[in-house]
Amino acid sequence: MSPRKYPLIEVRGLVHCYNNSTVLDVPYLSFSKGKIYAVLGPNGSGKTTLLNILGLLLKPTSGKVFFESKDIYSHPGLIKDIRTRMTTVIQNPILFDMNVENNIAYGLRIRGKTKEEREKTVKECLKMVKLDGFQKRRSRELSGGETQRVAIARALAVKPQIIFLDEYTSNVDEKSIEVLDEVITAVKQLNGTTVFLVTHDTRQAHKLADEVINLFAGRVVQSSMENLFKGTVSTTNGRAIFDTGRIKLEIVTDKQGVVHAAISPRDIIISLQPLSTSARNSFRGTITEVLNEGTVIRLSVNAGEVFRVLMTRASFQEMKLDVGTTVYITFKSTAIEIL
Amino acid sequence: MNYLLEGIATALQLIVTLDYEVTHCTIVSLQVSSIAILLAALVGLPCSFCIAVYDFKGKRALITLFNTLMALPTVVIGLFVFSFVSRQGPLGVLGLLFTPTAMIIGQFLLATPIIIALSFSAIQGIDPRIKITARALGARSHQLIVTLLLEARFAIMAAIIAGFGRVIGEVGSAMMLGGNIRGYTRTISTAIALETSKGEFALGLALGMILLTVALSVNIVLRYLQQKSK
Repeated sequence: MSPRKYPLIEVRGLVHCYNNSTVLDVPYLSFSKGKIYAVLGPNGSGKTTLLNILGLLLKPTSGKVFFESKDIYSHPGLIKDIRTRMTTVIQNPILFDMNVENNIAYGLRIRGKTKEEREKTVKECLKMVKLDGFQKRRSRELSGGETQRVAIARALAVKPQIIFLDEYTSNVDEKSIEVLDEVITAVKQLNGTTVFLVTHDTRQAHKLADEVINLFAGRVVQSSMENLFKGTVSTTNGRAIFDTGRIKLEIVTDKQGVVHAAISPRDIIISLQPLSTSARNSFRGTITEVLNEGTVIRLSVNAGEVFRVLMTRASFQEMKLDVGTTVYITFKSTAIEIL
Repeated sequence: MNYLLEGIATALQLIVTLDYEVTHCTIVSLQVSSIAILLAALVGLPCSFCIAVYDFKGKRALITLFNTLMALPTVVIGLFVFSFVSRQGPLGVLGLLFTPTAMIIGQFLLATPIIIALSFSAIQGIDPRIKITARALGARSHQLIVTLLLEARFAIMAAIIAGFGRVIGEVGSAMMLGGNIRGYTRTISTAIALETSKGEFALGLALGMILLTVALSVNIVLRYLQQKSK
């Protein structure tokens, strides 16, 4: 019998409240070692709260957090130990008012590493984020992208088992994002580090992550947050209609009033002619954006609302699609998740 | 006009020739004020740190109290300490009245509220992300305190220098508690008051020039630190 593999982190019955309102309600989630997880969701969906709970910076109102199958809040001594094995890079990180070298060496100094060890690690980390020779630069002189890269280098210097990155692409130039994407992939492969990314950038999440967790209003939802619309549900002739003000979708729900609806980009079919199928929703639209993601193509289709659609490169080429092409998008009512 | 020019010339001569009266007053002033400010910093910095970091009942009232104490007249402090160290006072047996120690106590009480109030604003002004970042990188409580102090180092130094600026030139408590004893408790400022009233204008002027130089240097350093902390 092979030994049972425990997840690295598990959460059960997690609830967190601010001022008596529930901001996070997650019955169960588990995370394995050496994987990249992306937590995706709109503003206020509870992403940062989840991250802070996993990063042990915040104690949940109720629920349990297990680290290597040990309930950490039943073993208070564990928290200090686990904290040294993980680190968080907060949204819009700040550097200490000292030079880059001392910033990166901060965590090492705290852990009592020698000067030689610190210098060696600082050099390696700067090389990793492509800022070689930046050791003596003052932190105040760095650009937004450079600051983010130094902040991530500072977090990596302590060789964490788990790293949490909160919105690391915000206020950062394209070049820095590219560098950081490479760093994240490399860290996972070289050190077996588990990476948590919090983002509202769906492309970034799907590109890097092994697993994407979609959060909406504090709950984990199945649908991707890419096609998320707000509208009103009304019932006409026994059919539930979701009206965003720009488009009306036929949906399956018992809910009434204002709701959010989400449709996975994988569940939308693209055709050049109207399709005769059982699907209740079909709209004419124009392609406004084409993003090449290797084997798949991500399209934006404006059909009143802008829909993101995922299709294979082969289909895309066969259909000779391009920006400006008029197409039909079709999806089933059951493909729409009402949140 | 001649009187003034002669006074300045003699004053410069007294400074250049390192006149006993001038040098001794300067040494006493610097010694008393430096010790007082060192003690005020040792007490004031941890206090300001606790007020900035911890939440407790009466915090606002305490801050208001320290802000008020910043502007306390020096003679009131002199009077207060005098009532304790004079022969009939509760600390009379220690024989502290008219000693440099009594002057240090007075100046300590003058400088501490300044250091507390100004460092409190400096520590409170630190970006809250610094604390989160230090914690996330594994800093324990004492390491966190050092990090916060380092972040606010220029503003804290400015607070200490502002305290020094206040005590080096004060007359009230130095006169009441030190007694202006020549070669023992006579400071630059008490000497100026005495010499000018005696008609020794040149000596007063020489001491005034030294005091002005000290004040100017303190302000230059203060301005430099304030710019660094921005």
